[in-house]
Amino acid sequence: MAIRVDPENNETRALFDLADFSAQRVLEIGCGDGRLTWRYADGAAHVTAIDPFAEGITRAREELPRELQGRVEFHHIAFEDFAAASEPSTFDRAILSWSL
Amino acid sequence: MKYEGMVHALEEIQRLLRPDGCLIDIHPVLEAPLVEVYQGSRVLFVEPYPGYDYEEDLRQAEDALAQIVQRGPFVVERSGEFDLLTYGSSVAELRDFWAKAGAYDDSPKDEAVEGREAELYARVEEIMQAAGPGAEVALHERARIARLNPTVSPSARLMEGSHA
Repeated sequence: MAIRVDPENNETRALFDLADFSAQRVLEIGCGDGRLTWRYADGAAHVTAIDPFAEGITRAREELPRELQGRVEFHHIAFEDFAAASEPSTFDRAILSWSL
Repeated sequence: MKYEGMVHALEEIQRLLRPDGCLIDIHPVLEAPLVEVYQGSRVLFVEPYPGYDYEEDLRQAEDALAQIVQRGPFVVERSGEFDLLTYGSSVAELRDFWAKAGAYDDSPKDEAVEGREAELYARVEEIMQAAGPGAEVALHERARIARLNPTVSPSARLMEGSHA
């Protein structure tokens, strides 16, 4: 049997209880292997998911479903470097995913 | 990330967000996660995870969030808590998963903590073997989730005032 993370969907429910992601431009900081990304990315306009650790980003890219290609990007980068290279007022939603 | 870095990161997030956007912060509460054994809906074992040594980091994260709200770039609109459980069919499977998930943590492990972890995992394995098929081990974390809305910066307020 494989590892099951949050099969009760408690995290997803809590997330959607606080924010709507439909047609939103999302920045996820600390995305790891995309575990949380897959739960909200379907309806988002675009997702930029970043993590400073290469292993998780590699797994996330490998597991990126075809239907999300072009709308979800994973970047192996530290937040400070990402922020320094980013324009202000770019995102509708930011998620600090167990990463502060 | 240390406290000052956290505060700066939150300021940067505010800069990257549109004025009508929001930040969702998810982080563990200040208590040790639990190691649990289930068989169906029956709970066979519950004990705090002995490797919980990151309370100071969590406290700094809470302080950074409080500081940023007090200073004004964000206001907390709503918050709540939820339980996140990760299940494995064996201790080895769960440990392997957590080793990969925590691969970035290169801080040296305390020998005493490692000993307590090994002892706990041995007991969990015994209980799972005795329970037979269908038993699962779980790491049970409780997390806080909050929605923070950016406030209009003082300079933007001045700009708005000048256009009024």
